[in-house]
Amino acid sequence: MTKKIDQRLPKDSGATKLPNYAAIKSPWERMYGFRDAMRYITRYEAVFGAAILQGIRILIPEYEDRAQTICQAAFDRMYATSQKYGVTQEYLLNMHPFMCGEFVGALIGDEGDDGMLMPGRVQDFGTYRCEKELDACPWDIIGSELCRATTMSLQSQARGSAERHRQGPTLDYAMVEARGCGDRHCRIVAENREKYPMPEHALWQSFGPIATADQIKCTPEEECVEDPMVFREECGFKFANGTNLEESSEMAAMVQFATSACLYFFPTLTRAIDEGRLEEKTVMHVLKCVLEAAGKAAFGEPYARLAAREWLGVPVEAPWDGRIMGGHIEMMLQALMCSYEVEAFNKDEVILVIDRKGLEISNGWMQTPCHVAYWNGMVKTLVSPQWFVFEEGSAEKTIRVCIAKKIDKFC
Amino acid sequence: MYRNIFKYDDMKRSEHMAVRENVGWYLFTHQLMQVEGDDAEAFLDYVFPNNIATLKPGRDRYTTMLDENGEIIDDVVVMRFDDHFWISTLFPSYMDDWFYAHQGDFDVDYYEVSDDWHMFAVQGPLSKDVLNGICAEPVDGLRFFQHSENSIDGMDVIINRGGFTGEKLGYEVYCAESDTDAVEEKIREACDKAGGRQVTEFQVMAWTLPTEAGFYYMRDLRHANPFEVGLAANINWDKDFVGKAALEKVREAGPAREMLGFTVADDDPFIQAKQYGGPGEAVYLDGEEIGRVSKMVYSYVKDINCGYILADAGKLKVGDTIDIHGSEAVICERNWLA
Repeated sequence: MTKKIDQRLPKDSGATKLPNYAAIKSPWERMYGFRDAMRYITRYEAVFGAAILQGIRILIPEYEDRAQTICQAAFDRMYATSQKYGVTQEYLLNMHPFMCGEFVGALIGDEGDDGMLMPGRVQDFGTYRCEKELDACPWDIIGSELCRATTMSLQSQARGSAERHRQGPTLDYAMVEARGCGDRHCRIVAENREKYPMPEHALWQSFGPIATADQIKCTPEEECVEDPMVFREECGFKFANGTNLEESSEMAAMVQFATSACLYFFPTLTRAIDEGRLEEKTVMHVLKCVLEAAGKAAFGEPYARLAAREWLGVPVEAPWDGRIMGGHIEMMLQALMCSYEVEAFNKDEVILVIDRKGLEISNGWMQTPCHVAYWNGMVKTLVSPQWFVFEEGSAEKTIRVCIAKKIDKFC
Repeated sequence: MYRNIFKYDDMKRSEHMAVRENVGWYLFTHQLMQVEGDDAEAFLDYVFPNNIATLKPGRDRYTTMLDENGEIIDDVVVMRFDDHFWISTLFPSYMDDWFYAHQGDFDVDYYEVSDDWHMFAVQGPLSKDVLNGICAEPVDGLRFFQHSENSIDGMDVIINRGGFTGEKLGYEVYCAESDTDAVEEKIREACDKAGGRQVTEFQVMAWTLPTEAGFYYMRDLRHANPFEVGLAANINWDKDFVGKAALEKVREAGPAREMLGFTVADDDPFIQAKQYGGPGEAVYLDGEEIGRVSKMVYSYVKDINCGYILADAGKLKVGDTIDIHGSEAVICERNWLA
């Protein structure tokens, strides 16, 4: 292995001529604009998250147990986040002192939705009832457990926000429709149980039914939107909420950097390991198996391989080797705004040295082995089974990912 | 399937009508910015287009705050005390940055005192009687936008005559944070005795009550200039103020848009409005988009859906009927209390 880097234009090629061109760029100079990059990474992360959830379904087979465990972890994690960052969030979102009660939590969810490319609209925002409708959701392929858990993260932030104000009415947040369950929309309705009584329920039972189904405002299919406000002309390409927070499309990048669907799952598993419910060895074994299979499935069909070359702008005459996989990983890292260096990029090997903090969002230590397993599955079908993706020579702050041919009789 | 979230809601209706017919009270604490220093008056006279220099201690003044493009950043009430000002705002984050940007050589100091004070709104025809029953000094002499020190059960308060409901009689009771529970209890007891009730619904205190009176809240004013929303009448053109140059051009050319009222008689109209965020429902005339719906609530006094449209100037006039997302809307003045 020579560690040679084949001729490739530097990452900042053209930057002085196109200073405002926010894009990701493949090693073969195929460029994508900011919107496409954000759409790509949200879906990439969703597919990755879907695979992780399949692993959890194996590890915790009973639906109720699994959903409750994920919901509880989501509630606790976001409640803690609210304790830590809530004051700043409240300030930016223009939550006023007279806004007493858990309805202010809807403001947090509304902003987050747009940043996660989940466009829709607030249909009701009051002390005793709130309603938010989403027309699209990149996470709609992951699984219903996540739909329940996102509702609980909203519930916990609502509680955290309300606790910083004088006491006000509580709200019970429920996702009464979910794209992840086949509904046209995602719809969260939050109701105060004194005004709108309903039986009590466990955290995981956050799908309703609700008392105010007759107040649901359902946007017809033909009026649904595909993009969040930050990518829509009618909105001036800005997110604007009812309390006058305005944000540009940069918000989407910030949100992608800070969260992903798997952040609902890794803490769940970590907690289960800490509590002795699951063994770390078993968890990682199952996750690696599932992710490697998911990676193989990504490019199993011949047209998927060809589409990947087209997406990356690989020249027709270029051979099938590890550089294609390397370019694929690079695009993902760029869209994630994760910095990396190219140590080798040639027909024999590709070595990427990746910023650990950029890939392991919120210090999720499980993420790196999971990503590597996923990529190792991908390379088998995208390039050939002779190729492997593996971690070698990583350091505390960097992950060194190698793509090379190997023979492994136990793979 | 959609059922009007305002029209059939008895709780919202009763809280709203308590203010209109009797007395309603509620915690309505806004953020407060305290401004002091030798140049406080001159500074505020520069950052606000309305006249602050002529404001006497004990009086209040409503004004917009503009950016350099003459667009409204915030609308506020400036309260003058003997040695400082209070500015009641909903956007301290914007205001703090804006003051900092324009402070220059002004000898002025400003800081939020929001955590130190709470405010209860006591609004409606019986509000004066209620406060006279619990305050050490009668409030009869207070004129609109006048405030004075007083006390309730030995606790110091500031009583300000004004409010966000359009009621001729309405007061704001400012109390120290530490006295909030006790003051609240006194107000609750007095209002209960008068047959009034607490307003607890955000939509009533922020949307239905002020809208009936033609008032603005938050997004109504965003990216509009004072001429477009009818708030230019009290601008002092004889002084310099932030946004003046841009606004003078608007004055010469005339505003491009205007804020109009509208009503919809349908029981359950399906209309989006900017008050919830987003762009608001598009309003079309002869196939051309001429505006967007800023707000859509319900007038419990007139028993009809009502709201605001920010439309291209001169395209619509009072009495016109237009279609908004399948409902017939009638253009009207922005006041449902007249």
